[in-house]
Amino acid sequence: MDNNKVPVTILTGFLGSGKTTLLNRILGEEHGKKIAVIENEYGEVGIDQGLVIDADEEVFEMSNGCICCTVRGDLIRVLGNLMKRRDKFDYVLVETTGLADPGPVAQTFFMDEEISSEFTLDGIVTLVDAAHIEQQLGRSNESSEQVAFADVIVLNKTDLVSDDSLNNLESRLKDMNRMTRIIRAEQANVPIETVLNLSAFDLDEVLKRRPSFLEPEYPFEWTGVVTLKPGKYEITMEEGPDPEMSLVALLDQGVSEEELKLGAESCVRYFAEKSEELFPGNNIPFSKHINLILNKKGSKNFYLELKQSSRVGLFTQHTAEEFDLRLARMNEDNNKEDIPFEAERIWVAEHEHDDEVSSIAIEREGDVDPEKLNTWMGKLLAEKGVDIFRTKGFISYSGNPKRIVFQGVHMLFTAQPDKEWGNEPRRNQLVFIGRNLDEDQMQKDFDKCLI
Amino acid sequence: MPDIEPFTPRGMLHDGWSAQVNDYAIVCGWSMSGKIFNVGDASGDIHAFNGIEGKLIWMNKSAHKGGLLGMSINQDGNILASSGQDGFVRYWNSEDGKEINKIQLGKGWVEHLKWSPDGKHLAIAFSRDVYVFNSLGDKIWHSEKHPSTVSALAWVNNNELATSCYGQVAFFDIENNKVNQRLEWQGSLVSMVISPSGDIVACGSQDNSVHFWRRTTGHDAEMTGYPSKPSNLSFDQSGTLLATGGSERVTVWSFEGNGPEGSIPGELGHHTEPVTSLSFSHKGKLIASGSRDGSVVVSFLQSNGHGNPVGAAFAGDYVSKIAWKPDDCALAAVCSKGSIHVWPFKPR
Repeated sequence: MDNNKVPVTILTGFLGSGKTTLLNRILGEEHGKKIAVIENEYGEVGIDQGLVIDADEEVFEMSNGCICCTVRGDLIRVLGNLMKRRDKFDYVLVETTGLADPGPVAQTFFMDEEISSEFTLDGIVTLVDAAHIEQQLGRSNESSEQVAFADVIVLNKTDLVSDDSLNNLESRLKDMNRMTRIIRAEQANVPIETVLNLSAFDLDEVLKRRPSFLEPEYPFEWTGVVTLKPGKYEITMEEGPDPEMSLVALLDQGVSEEELKLGAESCVRYFAEKSEELFPGNNIPFSKHINLILNKKGSKNFYLELKQSSRVGLFTQHTAEEFDLRLARMNEDNNKEDIPFEAERIWVAEHEHDDEVSSIAIEREGDVDPEKLNTWMGKLLAEKGVDIFRTKGFISYSGNPKRIVFQGVHMLFTAQPDKEWGNEPRRNQLVFIGRNLDEDQMQKDFDKCLI
Repeated sequence: MPDIEPFTPRGMLHDGWSAQVNDYAIVCGWSMSGKIFNVGDASGDIHAFNGIEGKLIWMNKSAHKGGLLGMSINQDGNILASSGQDGFVRYWNSEDGKEINKIQLGKGWVEHLKWSPDGKHLAIAFSRDVYVFNSLGDKIWHSEKHPSTVSALAWVNNNELATSCYGQVAFFDIENNKVNQRLEWQGSLVSMVISPSGDIVACGSQDNSVHFWRRTTGHDAEMTGYPSKPSNLSFDQSGTLLATGGSERVTVWSFEGNGPEGSIPGELGHHTEPVTSLSFSHKGKLIASGSRDGSVVVSFLQSNGHGNPVGAAFAGDYVSKIAWKPDDCALAAVCSKGSIHVWPFKPR
């Protein structure tokens, strides 16, 4: 039954981002598909391969005041009539105005039973004008929401912007929306497959492209490498911006850029594991994700003990500077001898741009308790649903042989059993894209659901 | 359900005739006092079948470019009005299919149209505007711009017209060009019916509820708990019973006594998939319901809303509309794959 549903792509983007150019390309190209375009600018275009239907955007809020129940009334009407045509369409493309919040469009495909029985939301494509998006992101909520909702971002008009700014822009957009795929274009000249039939709501497809949501960013900002002889060392930290800080200490860490990256990659895995709390005065274990508790006033000390010489790498959530982190050797006479770091490296961390919209990825091995998870998700979405734009991921329920796939738009979400786990190690991946989300709290709350 | 053949009806629905049109049949109705049964399909073709044995009498191909959306037959049964995605309304002589009038409203969809009870006026919903034309095709009234696209039209009497859209139901005095009443409510009203006395207006809402108002007191109430939006509503001719869709059951509210507030509605659970069309007979408390599963059931109701089926038939696929013959002696159903079924109905 599902296969008979007509896939729908939502095309968003600010005025001038190139939506019309892209639409004309799609409709003009020889691809042998029948496409219906629902757009809001007046002017019906009768063309061989498709049909352009004009619709006034009518956003209908419900009396219960729930923003997640808000739908696009015009779409329900137009799609309701489209589905009656004998000559079915292969795809439907819905264009939204530049100022639109994509939420109601997406929700229409969840909320209206008649629509969801005939159509399936295939993906959300956001066109971005590379030259102007930075300004727009600063000025309006709508543009950051359009970025947040996107499965694919077409970074258009790249010919007008330097490579450096493009790289910065791309990393900023990825910070905001970690699930998105970014495609660069000059005059909206992207292959049609990047816009239609995305299967973006098909998680396997998403994961094929990106096996781990955490990969491209680092959850730490600083690495310091130092060669240490056997003995005891003291790490001193002053008061800083955070009452706690994640840290991983590695043995045999090299100092070249390549070796640093290698170390960073292995640390990403440690950081994805549940952290262990460590209070001042204790020894820091190696190759373990620990969380230094720094809420005490004044200086705090932690210790490293080495049985044999090694180059030690410290990977920390914040930079050493922020806590005035220092390392000293404790000599037998209790004299302390400061040791400078041989190599330091600052990483591009998640919060570099301080956008209100960001992605939070939770990756954990093991099983979760279904009841606890549902309680937590229910509470989270009830309290923060307005600010959570998209949710995607999968969960390993204890006792369930199948992977449970989560999909959500605002408060609406579906949790469906997917393929069998088989011999694959049980793990959980969840990504939330939203505004002003408390990552630490969410990570902690998720950890409480683990068994 | 392509593999399932329509079956011989049982109970009070008897073997009648069937026919086929070439596209999704979306509208239907009886004209010429039941002598003709008309069907409009998604491609814009309008058909006229002999009401007794189903022979095709006339057909107008592509009456509306882009597709047909609405159809209404006047009280006398001699004028059929149709509307479509081409922005036109066309009047046809029901007997021979000749075009009588053609009205161009503009670019856009003309989704709803309805003749007044006396057949003198045709109300037309065109996006956020509503027009009234007379039977000669002259415009006699034009509404204010509605706050959103008009979702339904209903005549209270020959001069008062009701319209529904997102956020309101409005009542217009056509002759004096004024608004008689405006009932406001924040919700997307997708369907509307008015009780024969004109006092009760009921609307299906996108948020899966039925909202109704008593016009004289302004009192309103909301019936919730539907699994999906109640797009289909029907009042019986006495105004006691309101049948509603919105699930695979027909939910019947009774306005008897202090009801329906606080009362338990009657429920008819004879379909396996959602109800797609509902129609009370012109006389008596017989409710006909059609479903996405292809079944058509006629149930006899008591004034408390509860009742039992008296006949059922299988039309084969998604029933898009059903229509009682003016004398209630036959029931017609048209389906998504273009099949047409007419069953003689023999009352006890």
